[in-house]
Amino acid sequence: MTQDADRPTPSPSCPIPGGGARRRDVLSTVIVGAGCVGACALAYPFLDSLNGTKNTSLGEDDSIDVDIAALRPGQQLVVTWRGWPVFIQKRTPEMLASLKTADIVQRLRDPDSKILQQPKDATNWHRSVVPEIGVLIGICTHLGCVPSYATPSPNDKSGKYSCPCHGSQFDVAGRVYKDAPAPYNLPVPPVTMLSATHVRIGQSKGDPAFSIASIQQI
Amino acid sequence: MSKPDNTPAGWLEARLPIISAFRREYVDFAMPRNLTYLWNFGAFATIALALLIVSGIFLALNYTPSVAEAFNSIETIDRHVSSGWLVRAIHMGGVSMLFAALYVHMARSLYYGSYKAPRELLWLTGLGLFILVMIAAFAGYILPWGQMSYWGATVVINAMNAVPLIGPALASWLLGGEGLGSVALHRIYVLHFVTAFSIIGVIVLHVAALHVVGSNNPTGVEPKTSADVVPFHPYYTTKDGLGLCLFLMVYAALIFFAPDLLTLANNYAMANPLVTPGDITPEWYFAPFYAILRAVPSKLGGLILTAGSLVVLFAVPWLDRSPVRSARYRPVLRWALLALFAAFIALGVAGMHKPTGLWLALSRISVAYYYAYFLILLPFLPRVEITRPEPATLRGEGA
Amino acid sequence: MKRYFLGVFLALPLSAQAATPEQRGFQVYRQVCSTCHSLNHVTFADLSGIGLAVPDIKAYAASRQVPDGLDDDGDPKTRAAHPSDPIGSPYPNEAMARLANHGDLPPDFSRLAMTEEGGARRIETILRSYAPKPSDVVLAPGSYYNTAFAQNHIGMPPPLHDGQVTYADGTKATIPQMSHDVGAFLDWVAHPHREARSHTGLVVLIYLAGLGTLLALLKRRVWKRVKETRQ
Repeated sequence: MTQDADRPTPSPSCPIPGGGARRRDVLSTVIVGAGCVGACALAYPFLDSLNGTKNTSLGEDDSIDVDIAALRPGQQLVVTWRGWPVFIQKRTPEMLASLKTADIVQRLRDPDSKILQQPKDATNWHRSVVPEIGVLIGICTHLGCVPSYATPSPNDKSGKYSCPCHGSQFDVAGRVYKDAPAPYNLPVPPVTMLSATHVRIGQSKGDPAFSIASIQQI
Repeated sequence: MSKPDNTPAGWLEARLPIISAFRREYVDFAMPRNLTYLWNFGAFATIALALLIVSGIFLALNYTPSVAEAFNSIETIDRHVSSGWLVRAIHMGGVSMLFAALYVHMARSLYYGSYKAPRELLWLTGLGLFILVMIAAFAGYILPWGQMSYWGATVVINAMNAVPLIGPALASWLLGGEGLGSVALHRIYVLHFVTAFSIIGVIVLHVAALHVVGSNNPTGVEPKTSADVVPFHPYYTTKDGLGLCLFLMVYAALIFFAPDLLTLANNYAMANPLVTPGDITPEWYFAPFYAILRAVPSKLGGLILTAGSLVVLFAVPWLDRSPVRSARYRPVLRWALLALFAAFIALGVAGMHKPTGLWLALSRISVAYYYAYFLILLPFLPRVEITRPEPATLRGEGA
Repeated sequence: MKRYFLGVFLALPLSAQAATPEQRGFQVYRQVCSTCHSLNHVTFADLSGIGLAVPDIKAYAASRQVPDGLDDDGDPKTRAAHPSDPIGSPYPNEAMARLANHGDLPPDFSRLAMTEEGGARRIETILRSYAPKPSDVVLAPGSYYNTAFAQNHIGMPPPLHDGQVTYADGTKATIPQMSHDVGAFLDWVAHPHREARSHTGLVVLIYLAGLGTLLALLKRRVWKRVKETRQ
């Protein structure tokens, strides 16, 4: 990319406005500034298109109704809500008792659910609308893996969740144990008990203003 | 290198001299002092291409190359993706603006003899760019999977099949051995991308070649003294900048106030392999070549004439035997060339109409003249033409 | 003809004040046209673009059923539409649409004002060009007399009659009025961003004209010296 030796070059006397000094005058400064503003404005539609179609949504009702008639005590059902795995458990009396056992409770990070990870009507000792039915979003608050459920067994009647990725432990109400990396309890989605056998996930009758986007971490 | 420069610029310069290279090629670079606004169109084409590539990348993020979803995804971009309609308008309008800039750029080269020694490689790389742009535009036009996309692709693929020896193999490779369906659409999508990015590479060659030999000018006389040239900056930065502003105004007027002016409404109907639309016409920038294709009543003949109309351009630097570059000083060729431009435009208009009656006659006359210009007038006119004297320097010229 | 009347009586009256031609046109679409014609690429939520209120959109969406996969027994099931769903087709598939319409497929409305030569004005003309069949004209079954066409017939039965809908804003629902409103609605449907487009365009052109003026001044000043050396 070099010019031919025999091609003429502009002479030093060649007129450059401002007497040879490359002094930026007001007019060219304004033009360069306006050009930069224009370039930034041009970038707007491209970057805005990265937002996809979300701005055209009206915030619609995406709640789902789940039939839990077939759920046996101690068993867990996994459904999908907003693309997240949602655990629905039917708790046994032993499981419920374990939630109040003192030596378990003192090993929990946030036993009283002080941090906003659940709607108001699930901010209680069992973290659910009714004690017998627990509903949790199965996303570990550490780095987002899905914790696996240890079904209550004769050896451990309380049941628990342990995350396969980095060993975080949660009790059956989704409360996190202290000696593990996950910082918060598992999130509880908004839940309405339609009947003893039907659960609506996505709408909370006890806390209608609750938005899942407002919780500490999912 | 006697005294180490400790500024950040000096540090960079010692390791990668891009600052001095930029200064040499785009600030102090010697430009003829008499370039007209016709010399802006290369910059216009570059800007249009840059906008096409950027908008294309953002469109690709929302596009699905499958028969079932392609049309829907384009509708989603146009209707629901934030600013999607604008990104797509920039892309669609950009194609027309790019072709318009390229056609003017090429016509300017023909008129002022910019293809002649020592600028043959500029002309050849430029033609390579033009063909790559045509391939990218054709492939891109298929992607929305509208009626015109589908039937345009069908016609071109059948034309490919008619090419002896290599045609059927090429068509089969493009289609993946099947009909025009999802497999083909996916390949065409990749083809669109690959050609678009290879265009950038060829532009680098084109500009590199330009910076070796320098720009031609309206007189066709090489600048000889330093009084004949001016530095690129600030002279041509301001001139290109002003021209670019006007170019962008036309571009903006097109996409904001006449978005449907150059597009074919039929392409807003989803591809239907069972129904060919009644008035199938190409996009305006392909219309001249489409007219050549239909000018002769022979499948292979039309293909040869169409391909030949591009091939003959590659030979132009060697077909033109005149020592005088600029048509300014060639009184006969000047009119012959203006007639060539008229014939090309006539072909374009004929290409948008049904090939019957007057339109067919017009395309035949125009094709005949197109070939006559390149194969007869260019080589043989210099023997009889009396040229006017060229100026000795550019000092009294232009500016 | 029966289904048109069904459409009129089944559609819920709009609670919004239909004030613009597009809004009135939508009312006619909802109560009349949508019994046969689909809007496959327009979502319920898009209707906020013609000023429809969010509760009305949600109510309209909820009144339509859309397929929702299979139930636990493997049978197809439906759910109430969400605002983000396309308004879609009144027929489950193309075959059903043809069966209900003498073998013809009622065109989708999403881009009709674009693909139909003459655009929204042409659609308006077609809608108001139905006339009683002159006695000497013989029409094939499933054809209706319409002077907008060179052959004076169309496959669509006359869809509109005076007073067919009751406009909430009190506009008299004559055939020309409804035709005009439907045309306006379909024009918006085919060019949903026209307003934003021309607003943006104006700003861009003003900006470029301003920048161009400044550049012209600078260019003149820069080139003045070269012009002076020209003899």
